[in-house]
Amino acid sequence: MKQTNAIARSLNPAIFFCCLWPVGAVAHPAEQGLVLLLPTELYNWGGTLAVVASIILISAVSHRLLAQCYQSIAFGRGKAGARAVHITSLLSTLAVFALIYIGFTGPTDPQRNLLPLTIWTGWWVGVFIVQGLIVDVWRWIDPWAGASRFAFGQGDPILRMPAWIGAWPAVALFLGFQIFMLADLAPSDPGRLATYVFGYWVFTFVGIGIFGRKAWCAQVECFSVLFDLIGSLRAVQTQGTFRIGLPGHTSLQRAPLDTAQAVFCLTILVSGSFDGLSETFWWLGHIGINPLEFPGRSAVVIETITGLIGANIAGILIFAAAIWGGQRLVAGQANLDFRTAFNSFAITILPIALGYHFAHYLVSFLVQGQYLLAAIGDPLARGWNLLGLGNTTVTTGFLNSTETVKPILLAKVGMVVTSHIVSIAMAHVLAGRFVQKRRDLVLLQLFLCILMVLYTFFGLWLLSTPRGA
Amino acid sequence: MTKTPAPKSHLNRRTALKGLGAGALVAGAMPGFVQAQSAAPIKIGFQKHATGIGAAYGRWYDATTQAAVNRINADGGINGRPVEIVTEDDGTDPKRGAEVLEKFANQHECDVAFGTLFSHVVIGSAPRAGELKLPYFVVSEGHHVASGMLNRYTLQPGITDVKSQVQSMAPFVANNLGKKVTMIYPDFAFGHDHRDFFTAAIEAQGGEVVAQIAIPPAETSFTRYFPNIPRETEVVYHVMVGPAVLTFVKELGEFFGPSKPEIFGFIDSLEAVDIRSPGLEFLEGTYFWEGNPRNAQADNSEFDTAYRAAVGVDDRGASLTDSKDVSTYAHMFGCWETLNIIKAGMESADYQGPADRAKLIEAVEAMTNMPHSLDHPQGPKLFNGKTHQVFGQQYISKVTDGNLVVAHTASIEDGMYEDEVDYTTQSF
Repeated sequence: MKQTNAIARSLNPAIFFCCLWPVGAVAHPAEQGLVLLLPTELYNWGGTLAVVASIILISAVSHRLLAQCYQSIAFGRGKAGARAVHITSLLSTLAVFALIYIGFTGPTDPQRNLLPLTIWTGWWVGVFIVQGLIVDVWRWIDPWAGASRFAFGQGDPILRMPAWIGAWPAVALFLGFQIFMLADLAPSDPGRLATYVFGYWVFTFVGIGIFGRKAWCAQVECFSVLFDLIGSLRAVQTQGTFRIGLPGHTSLQRAPLDTAQAVFCLTILVSGSFDGLSETFWWLGHIGINPLEFPGRSAVVIETITGLIGANIAGILIFAAAIWGGQRLVAGQANLDFRTAFNSFAITILPIALGYHFAHYLVSFLVQGQYLLAAIGDPLARGWNLLGLGNTTVTTGFLNSTETVKPILLAKVGMVVTSHIVSIAMAHVLAGRFVQKRRDLVLLQLFLCILMVLYTFFGLWLLSTPRGA
Repeated sequence: MTKTPAPKSHLNRRTALKGLGAGALVAGAMPGFVQAQSAAPIKIGFQKHATGIGAAYGRWYDATTQAAVNRINADGGINGRPVEIVTEDDGTDPKRGAEVLEKFANQHECDVAFGTLFSHVVIGSAPRAGELKLPYFVVSEGHHVASGMLNRYTLQPGITDVKSQVQSMAPFVANNLGKKVTMIYPDFAFGHDHRDFFTAAIEAQGGEVVAQIAIPPAETSFTRYFPNIPRETEVVYHVMVGPAVLTFVKELGEFFGPSKPEIFGFIDSLEAVDIRSPGLEFLEGTYFWEGNPRNAQADNSEFDTAYRAAVGVDDRGASLTDSKDVSTYAHMFGCWETLNIIKAGMESADYQGPADRAKLIEAVEAMTNMPHSLDHPQGPKLFNGKTHQVFGQQYISKVTDGNLVVAHTASIEDGMYEDEVDYTTQSF
């Protein structure tokens, strides 16, 4: 018998669409099949809505009116439990070390070990979304704030972080994190993940000890930078004066960012999109992989890493070109240099990044969240039942029926389109800071708006196209 | 649908862990465990597709594995010792699979390794099993074991291979459905295997393949291929796989309308998919190969009934707690049966520890008939010690009122073929 025959009986294959990301385990044959059977009007409507909303927003809505709408309303002031935050942060540190311990000594199955479930499902998906939509949860669970204050006090740092470095180290670390998540052979392996988490905690703790928490967490610690940027999108802000307003009202106050932070915004979006893209038949075809016979992560490590980095470079260049084009069109009318435009409009990418994060991970979260709940109820694998869930069985049955697959898809499409509209609105408000005439307003945002519309179509396509990895 | 009470062993983390805990408790309480020379557990490394493209299979392979081990432990374990499953995620990746085997041997000190379905993982892992001298019991149904490409430490005693499965379908197709067959298959090695195996097998039955329609793997719409189906076609044999399977079936139904030829396929295309999914109405009246019948039959064996209850699956092959959560029923019995063979082999070899691994392999190689029983709920089997491959019955089911009703049971002999290797001549 030929070897090809033997290999062929990777016959299992009704299952061809699990995510490359480490939470994985969402593979379910029916969901994608049902999605492919659903009428395409859903995407057409989503895309059309995005285009129409874009046109109305940039051509018909007064930017002054919109800017007024983006005025937030103060509703209180306080330190929002500064002392309590230190306590919860210390508790979070303890929790991280408990998780590391569980990673090293607990079940070796990543679907039974609390560490990978907490990191990839609870934190990377759950905390990310909550931080962007609901509450500043990172402030409460930052595992370094309390510990570093306890260990190093609030005195001057030993060394001063050069300002010219900006947040570039954070950009580099975030890309490294994405590479680990997408290209490592087993990022969910509890022991392996525990090693990385421990190493990163120590690295950050030492960095804070030397350079001070403020500088380190603004320039190097990529998750503080990430959650700070994403958190700025929330309608309700609780730093200093409590404010409520349209999503993104605080983000707009940040513009212009420094260049590294602007690039960070783009990296969040592009890396997330590449994660989705790398699973598609389209991508697999381009790297010479039969989409019905995905050979495993180890076969595509180089392609994944180069693809991720290449996508980021391409994404930044395309965004820069769109900004440059708009800036040139209004060059005679506005005192706006390219760098300021780039660093300002980059923040308007964040809503799309948040929306895609939600859409991309929703199904995984619904499946892995069940494992996470079970693991929380029995963190040490002793047969406990702390959450009282008893014999709750993990199920993927809801991916097996149009009745449930359709609303899930609607939620994804809705989130992608809504986030697009928020991005366009933010761009419109920002444009009003640089030009006043309606014609200039349209021209300044023209290419950016086209890019956002195309990206939204791309996002909707990602949700509907067949996946093979 | 009749549901049976929730079993102890279930697709459930807690019960599985309780089972392990119970195993440890039983070690002290049950005479069998007490009399053993060592009360230390027998450790079986389970290569699980927890992530990667095999995850849906991994989930059910896991559930079946935990259920089988709970039963073994409840019956006194192996040689008086409790059994402990050590699960590692292979990521459905061959390199990771080999890495995991190394962890089983060196870090967890497992006695044997077991599990895994996807062939590329088995093929990537087996050489390492040989180097580590770690018995590696696979449940992949690939022909790679019997073809001779692996080694003496790799065995497949709990599930039949694809060559046997395809070959044993031909007599029924030729004698009951028609002799002029059009094959529709994805255009890569998997589809080519079906094309080659089945074309030869149907010709041996006096039939012929009148058209071979290869579909590019990335195709997601199929209507333009259907006019290539010759008018004389009596049977369409399809083995499409991938996310577009439902689309394929729907479009095939729209193409033929009510006057369709007989249709035969492999349930692999729709494993873990509810046969009553929208768009699949066209499957009514068509036939499928099933490794193990998903639906409980009118004359269901007591063994299958007990096995279903133990794994937590209802009469339609879905989870007892969610009737929409369809299992990988055609394949996962292989885990249950393989674990029972490991137990039988270890008891036959009086296995005490890693030093007895060669004795264990020799004991399994000596096995032949495996009668239909709760140890082998899928049906009777015949093990070939030379090729390390088991042979068994195959099922052909007809979709009737949305149920898979067994229309024919292919005999063990229908799937037999000449030996291609004799692993027993290889040294340990």
